[in-house]
Amino acid sequence: MRQILLNSCAMAASAEEARFRIDAPIRGREGARVIALDQAANEVVRRVAGQPWHAARFFTLPAHSGNGNGSLTLCTLDGVSSGLAEQLAAADVVVMIATGAGDAHAAAAIGNACAVRGIMTAGLIIGDGREALGALRPYARVLMVTHDETDVTEVLTALRA
Amino acid sequence: MLKQEINELLTRTGPGTPMGNLFRQYWIPAMLAEELPENDSPPVRLKLLSERLIAFRDSDGRYGLIDEFCAHRGVSLWFGRNEESGLRCAYHGWKYDVTGQCVEVPSEPDNSNFCANVKLTAYPLVKIGDVLWTYLGDPAKKPPLPEFEFAQVPAEQTYTSKRWQECNWLQAFEGGIDSSHVTFLHSGGLRSDPLFKGAKGNEYNMKDLKPFFEVAESDGGLFVGARRNADDGKYYWRITPWVLPSFTMVPPRGDHPLHGHFWIPIDDHNCWAYSFDYHPVRALTATEVQAMRDGHGVHSDNIPGTYRPKANKDNDYLMDRDSQRANENYSGVRGIAMQDASLQESMGPIVDRRKERLVSADTGIIKARQKLRKAALALAEDGTTPPGVDPAHHRVRSAAVVLPREDSFIEASRDALTATPGVPQSTV
Repeated sequence: MRQILLNSCAMAASAEEARFRIDAPIRGREGARVIALDQAANEVVRRVAGQPWHAARFFTLPAHSGNGNGSLTLCTLDGVSSGLAEQLAAADVVVMIATGAGDAHAAAAIGNACAVRGIMTAGLIIGDGREALGALRPYARVLMVTHDETDVTEVLTALRA
Repeated sequence: MLKQEINELLTRTGPGTPMGNLFRQYWIPAMLAEELPENDSPPVRLKLLSERLIAFRDSDGRYGLIDEFCAHRGVSLWFGRNEESGLRCAYHGWKYDVTGQCVEVPSEPDNSNFCANVKLTAYPLVKIGDVLWTYLGDPAKKPPLPEFEFAQVPAEQTYTSKRWQECNWLQAFEGGIDSSHVTFLHSGGLRSDPLFKGAKGNEYNMKDLKPFFEVAESDGGLFVGARRNADDGKYYWRITPWVLPSFTMVPPRGDHPLHGHFWIPIDDHNCWAYSFDYHPVRALTATEVQAMRDGHGVHSDNIPGTYRPKANKDNDYLMDRDSQRANENYSGVRGIAMQDASLQESMGPIVDRRKERLVSADTGIIKARQKLRKAALALAEDGTTPPGVDPAHHRVRSAAVVLPREDSFIEASRDALTATPGVPQSTV
């Protein structure tokens, strides 16, 4: 049976009806991971991490981050080492930050690990970052090239990180 | 997610608001030229950026856009008589020229100079292409006229329509840079719309439902690239330009005309969606123009004599659940324009962005909001001219291209993204 139309959209879309939208609190995102892919990006990530966030975790890459077999070690901003796999266990988005060249091997390891686990990836390249673009493009489902460092904060805020 | 104060900043465009001041830096579409088809044709009442105005074309072909209300008693000049090079109030015969200057007050003595001191607020109104453009800002800062390609090609190569959209301009505009909805909401159109179907690029679209996105800044705004797998290990890129404040273009398909939009605030709860199609190097065919008039492509089928779509919120957009079930139309609403409008209007007059759950695929929207906010604040703080005012920023095109995997879509498509007279669009 076809539904009888009752012109419901006209009322439903009104400002008056907007008052009756369910106003349930929205939980922040629990699984945001932010990883700096080069030295200058480390500084960006440190500055951003100093802002208030819901549950985002911030990492840098140690000088020798991989063992050549696809695994990757991350470093918390306190200098504590942590395995990529461990940090991805409860992740739902990984945001990679690069400036100059980025670290192509790390980007590949992160991208591949996320693909296997169904984790969304995003990349923010601060500056011209031509090399970083090549490193990140295959692995970041969303990529932004920007000269504005505040874009990192903007994106993480919008994602409720 | 946006804080409430930022949502307010971005969505309010009345006089004195930061975003209203931003819009008042630009030439914006005020109306279609067809609305004032001849000298002394009936005046048209319109509202732009929350200002009530009246437009008319005088006996000498000059266009005027002035305060809607007579300076005498506040009567609407819509009732006025457009005659003998001016618009005369129907109440007591006060007459105004296209500059808003009162030129006659019949009750005063013939040699009185009273009317010399009566002048209504007036804005310029200039015909470029099918559109009458206006500038609502400080006359001393009036920028050069706009140079968007759709308005500059010969008349037989371009077609513009408009429709009333019953929601705030920002949620309408955001649909224009949200490439990820196309594969879902408009999937029916890719198969059947006469202005979309048949392109090789559509196959790439439908084969790859999870595109990758790249966002890059341009002088006038942004380029948003959506990347899908193509043949031979290459990438198929669909590139959408945005020029501040609200000009966007849809990437082309095959040899179909290019199309795009302008979203112009009427007030904070309504906007005009201007939709255009043009071909850079050939005339539109009669079949194409008829399809546009019938509401195909990005256009709408409007109630005759109005710019309100036949499918609107008063009739539930003529929702067809059978069509939805049969996958002819993903949402059950017919036509790409109304598929967008129906959902954007369903958000409410101004969507509460505090309650959004954005994902990283929304990065283009996130960046656009940031650019708008920064432009509005920089203007307010030190008068910085925002992006998109310079006509050089208008000379952009959308593009659809197949590129080697290693190519930067911006650098490899630099020429394709530049509007060059006589050069065809880059399309797949």
